[in-house]
Amino acid sequence: MPKHVYLDHAATTPVRPEVVEAMTPFFGPRFGNPSSVHRWGRDARTALDEARERLARTLGARVDEIVFTSCGTEADNLAILGAWRATRTERPAIVTTPIEHKAVLATSHRVAAEGGEERIVDVNEHGVVDRASYDAKIDARVGVVSVMWVNNEIGVVQPVPELATRAKEHGAVFHTDAVQAFGKIAIDLSKLPIDLLTISGHKIGAPKGTGALFVRRGVRIDPLMHGGEQDRGRRPGTENVAFAVGLARAAELAIEEREAECMRLEQLRSRLEAALLERIPDAVVHGRGAQRAPHILNISVAGTDSESMLMALDLQGVACSAGSACQSGSVSPSHVLSAMGVRPEIATSAIRMSLGSLTSDEDMTRVAELFPALIQKARRLAGQP
Amino acid sequence: MTRVLVAMSGGVDSSVAAALLVEQGYDVVGATMKLFCYGEDVPDRPCCSLDSINDARRVCQQLGIAHYVLNLESSFGHDVVDDFVGEYLRGRTPIPCVRCNTFTKFRDLVKKADAIDADFVATGHYARVQNGALHRGRDHTKDQSYFLWGIDRAVLQRMLLPVGGLTKPETRQRAHALGLEVIAEKVESQDICFVPDGDHSKVIARRLGAGTPALATGPIMLSDGRTVGEHHGYARFTIGQRRGLPGGFMEPMYVVAIRPVDRAVVIGPREELLGRGVVAREVNWLGPAPALGARVEVQVRHRAAAAAGELVRVDAGEIEIALEEPVAAITPGQSLVLYDGERVLGGGVIERAGRRSELPVMAA
Repeated sequence: MPKHVYLDHAATTPVRPEVVEAMTPFFGPRFGNPSSVHRWGRDARTALDEARERLARTLGARVDEIVFTSCGTEADNLAILGAWRATRTERPAIVTTPIEHKAVLATSHRVAAEGGEERIVDVNEHGVVDRASYDAKIDARVGVVSVMWVNNEIGVVQPVPELATRAKEHGAVFHTDAVQAFGKIAIDLSKLPIDLLTISGHKIGAPKGTGALFVRRGVRIDPLMHGGEQDRGRRPGTENVAFAVGLARAAELAIEEREAECMRLEQLRSRLEAALLERIPDAVVHGRGAQRAPHILNISVAGTDSESMLMALDLQGVACSAGSACQSGSVSPSHVLSAMGVRPEIATSAIRMSLGSLTSDEDMTRVAELFPALIQKARRLAGQP
Repeated sequence: MTRVLVAMSGGVDSSVAAALLVEQGYDVVGATMKLFCYGEDVPDRPCCSLDSINDARRVCQQLGIAHYVLNLESSFGHDVVDDFVGEYLRGRTPIPCVRCNTFTKFRDLVKKADAIDADFVATGHYARVQNGALHRGRDHTKDQSYFLWGIDRAVLQRMLLPVGGLTKPETRQRAHALGLEVIAEKVESQDICFVPDGDHSKVIARRLGAGTPALATGPIMLSDGRTVGEHHGYARFTIGQRRGLPGGFMEPMYVVAIRPVDRAVVIGPREELLGRGVVAREVNWLGPAPALGARVEVQVRHRAAAAAGELVRVDAGEIEIALEEPVAAITPGQSLVLYDGERVLGGGVIERAGRRSELPVMAA
């Protein structure tokens, strides 16, 4: 078996050694509870404050604007439900897009179930929010607007600064899920009119189970959980000091390396994309007509199916993904591609390759050879009676 | 290395099948088919629930082989569930397992096998393939060959049934010996997988609407036309059934016919239940078709004893068997499977009990 190729960094990334090192003391001697009055408590509290400060710095945020969460999904829930519930009587409507991650979409549906008015804006065939539709849906009844920055399936970048500006003009709270954007797109919250922003640790080399929500000073959110005064009451529960430290360290590294890493990934992706399109001329690269983050390549070839391709790739040691996996682990058609108006036979053949720290030039060469060969075989089989 | 794709339900039979193939040196890939949406209303199903998928994955992990979940919901819904419901609407009693084997396991799954260069497809069925022919499982009490008559005979060449030579207790023993404690003592599934609580009328109501004639009130009649009662949906009945019938007769009464046209459930004494022949359609042969006049053994339902008969008619898409001895409760929608001893010759879907018999008939 040739070397394994991991092309699923948008799903998760390995924990970086620097992050493990930063966290290790907190699984050992520095085990204190940040709320305790004694030396162990003080030590943990200092570490937590420092982690918060360092994470804030990577975002251009202030220390009190960072809430640590257990994951991106929790941050999305806290942002949307928290902000909507805080102003629901005056502003019952929520605006979002049909291509959001389920963490946002399902939460938006939850808002509707609680009596809110859900407004879903259109996206164009490239997966970009339709401006006319967006503008038409935002008015004084809208409490929360949530638009993801980088789409997790196709990598398309939304014009978040402009969309946020528009939302603010109407007095709505603007949230963005920046889980795939962080470390890929320059984000300076001291200059952008964004109220709430979600990041996730395990996409950037921190452990699974880490996330954070940026909450701009003055933006009210109702907590989802009730308990102690941790995180100013916005997120009660004893803080996970180790993971906060790990997340901060991973975020720092991601920001330090952002420009060089993005350039590297962009080159690798372009090479792979060009090679695949040359060998499979009728392949469709989703979102190609729009600005894309450098780490995601989503490609469809008519006459093949994602499920079989994923198996065949995996058995050759190449890890990719398709659409969004359901709880059972089976592949379902992508709601993102459907919303873009992609024909079902194209949507059901989509394969997402997501590049990252593990990706090498050699990997691209291997996949540029293997993928077209598997496609050719799948098509030959499909042609059989 | 020869690659095999094993259909794994998370149960003991298919788990042991996979383990035996690993032992035999095959390059084994496990797959669990997701065939319908697992709602929260299926908490304790031994098979097909989310837990079962997880069990299959754990077994594969333990065996050191890859495992995939294949989403075959849409084709299963069309090929198996729609047909199931349609058959009940037509007053028949379907066997979805037959169509699942024919279309889902040994057609759709074979395509997946092709996609990953697997030479063979394996399942945990109690049946055997010998010299390209399908045989009954060694454990006759568990024999599942009855459900396999519909598969494409070409697939027999690349089909492996590793537990077909074992008895059920042997399979469980092997599971323990292989350290597959996760599944070794799992309860066997008896129901139809997509009918979780054994009440198929719920599936019918969900697909056809609660107002479907199949679940509407209708008369219970005697074969002379006299109405003797009322039922709440002919789809709740099958030929030979006694449950749910009115009492007060001199002898035990059985459902002897279901007539969708007037929604009637016809009942009669055991004598009226006996058929002297069987007519079947959708015929499929797993080897050379037997000649007209061939003496065969037939089985008209799972677990029924084989009955001797003769192939007396072969028309386009329809065959008729004359039975040596009358057989009770020949049920439209069930399978007629023809055997030569242990070997499955082929089969078809029962259309009706045959009227004629070329052979002398014993008194019932």
